Amino acid sequence: MVREEAKQAPEDSQQPNKAETSQNVDNLFSPRFKSVAAMAGWDEEALIIASLVVEDTPDRQQSKQKKRSDSIFNTPPCTSSRRKRRAQRTPLNLDEEQEVPKEESEKKSMEQRIVVEDEKNPKANEPALHCMDKLREELSCAICLDICFEPSTTPCGHSFCKKCLRSAADKCGKRCPKCRQLIGNGRSCTVNTVLWNTIQLLFPKEVETRKAVAANALNSKEAFECQSPQSGTRSTRTTRTRTRTRAENQALAARPQREDLSRLVNTDTNMTRRRGDPNQDNNAESARLQRDNDLSRLVRTGRRRGTPSQDEDAALALRLQREEFMEAFRGSSGHEGNEQTRIPLALARANLRAMASRAINRGRAV
Amino acid sequence: MIGGGRSSSSSSTATAAGGTWVSTTSVSASGKRIQREMSELNADPPPHCSAAPKGDNLFHWVATIIGPPGTPYQGGIFFLDITFPSDYPFQPPKVVFKTRIYHCNVDAAGNLSLDILKDSWSPALTISKVLTAIRSIFSNPDPYSPLTSGVARLYLADKAKHDEIASEWTVRFAK
Repeated sequence: MVREEAKQAPEDSQQPNKAETSQNVDNLFSPRFKSVAAMAGWDEEALIIASLVVEDTPDRQQSKQKKRSDSIFNTPPCTSSRRKRRAQRTPLNLDEEQEVPKEESEKKSMEQRIVVEDEKNPKANEPALHCMDKLREELSCAICLDICFEPSTTPCGHSFCKKCLRSAADKCGKRCPKCRQLIGNGRSCTVNTVLWNTIQLLFPKEVETRKAVAANALNSKEAFECQSPQSGTRSTRTTRTRTRTRAENQALAARPQREDLSRLVNTDTNMTRRRGDPNQDNNAESARLQRDNDLSRLVRTGRRRGTPSQDEDAALALRLQREEFMEAFRGSSGHEGNEQTRIPLALARANLRAMASRAINRGRAV
Repeated sequence: MIGGGRSSSSSSTATAAGGTWVSTTSVSASGKRIQREMSELNADPPPHCSAAPKGDNLFHWVATIIGPPGTPYQGGIFFLDITFPSDYPFQPPKVVFKTRIYHCNVDAAGNLSLDILKDSWSPALTISKVLTAIRSIFSNPDPYSPLTSGVARLYLADKAKHDEIASEWTVRFAK
C-alpha cells in the first residue's frame, strides 16, 4: 500500500505530461502529418511502429501509470500480455481507450450536473411562480377580483380599479370596500401611476386583454382591418397565378405534373409516345388540373400561415422555373421541328422574365 | 361544475362571442367576477363549505355548510340557495337556507339576517367570506337582531334547552 501511494505521488505530477504525450500522438496522426508521411513514402505500418517507438521511449513512469489505470478498470494484466495487446492494437487506439474513461467520467459528471440543474430549474421556477401568484393576489382589485386596471388608491390606502371604485362609491356609499372608512369623491378618480405602471410591467398580458375588452368594438374594427389587407394580398396572389396559368395555358396544355429532372428523363420517351395517343388531351387536361391544384395548394399554404413567406415564394419560383426548362428541354428533344422548339423556348424565356419581375416586385412589397 | 377552471382570457373570448356557453347571461363584469369567485372556491374552498352554480346559470348557486363541531348543528348538512343580483359585487347576494334550521337568525322560510348581506355589504366581500360568516353564526348566534324572536328568547334564557332543540332539528332535517 505504501509503495502504491508513493507511486501515486509522482504520477500526479506526471499527469499533465501524459496529456501532452497523448496530444503528441494525436499530432503524429494529424492529417497533415499523414499526407507528409505519404509524400515521404511511409506506409501506415511504418507510422505505427514509429509511434510505438516514440511511445515506449519515455521513462517508466508512463507504463506505471498505465498499469494503474488498468487496475482501476479491473484488468490486472501481466506486462507481457499488455505488450502483446499493445502490439496488436494501434497505439493511438490504446491511448484513446485510456483517454475515454476520463472523458466519460467527465461527461458523466457533466450530465449529472445538467440533471441536477434540470431538477433545480423547476424548483427554482416554483418560488417564482408562487411569487407571481402572490403578486397577482396582492395587485388584484377586491371588487372585480382581476388585476387592478388603472388602480385608484383610497385615502385609507386600499387600491381598486378606478372604474370599480367609482361604481362602488356610486352604488354602495362613499366607504372603502375593504375597511369601510369614508372616502372622498375626488381622490377616488385619480390613478395611482406608480402602481399602474408596476402592474403594466408585471402583467402585460392581463392588462392587454383587459384593454382589449375595454376597447372591444375598436379592437374588432382593427382586427377587420388587419384581415382585409391579408385578403387583398390573397386575391392578388390568386389573380397572379390565374393570369399566369392563362398566359401559359398553351404551354401547359400538354405538360404533365413532374417533380424532377431525373423523372423527366425517365419518362420522356413515354411522354413522346403518349403524345400521339388519342387520349392525349385527357391526360394533358388532368395533368393541367393537377398542376393548378398544386399551385392553389401552394397559395393556400402561404395563406394559412398568414404572411406569405419568402421561402415559399422562392420554392414556387424555382419549381415554375424548373418546369419552364423542362418544357423547353422536352420540346427540343421531343420535336425535331425548329419552329416547335423555338416557341416553347421563347415562351419559357418570356415567362422567366415575367417571373423575375414578379419576384422583384414581391421582394419590394415584402 | 361548469367551466370551473376557466381563465379570464377564455371568459373574455366568451364575451366577444356573445356568451356561447353561459346561456342566460352575457358575461358581464358581474359574471366575470362570479366566474373568478368560482375558480377561487374550487382552488381554495373555506373549511366545511362548498358552493357551485346550480346549472347553466352563473347567477344561481347552491351551497352547503356542514354544521361545525361543538355546536348543536354538528354533523348536519345545510343547503343554501344563493342568488346573485345583476350588479353583483355592488349589491349583496341573496342567501336562503333550504334546509330547516333552529336558529334565531334564520326564519321559517330560510331567510337569513346577517348584516353583511344587508347594510354592511361591501363589494370586496366574496361568497367564500359570506359562507364563513354564516358558519360563524352557527357557533355564535346573534340573539339581539333575531328573525325568530322565540328562538332568540330561549337562547338567552335557557341555552341548554335551545341547544337540545337545535340538535333535534339538525338530526331531523339536516342528516
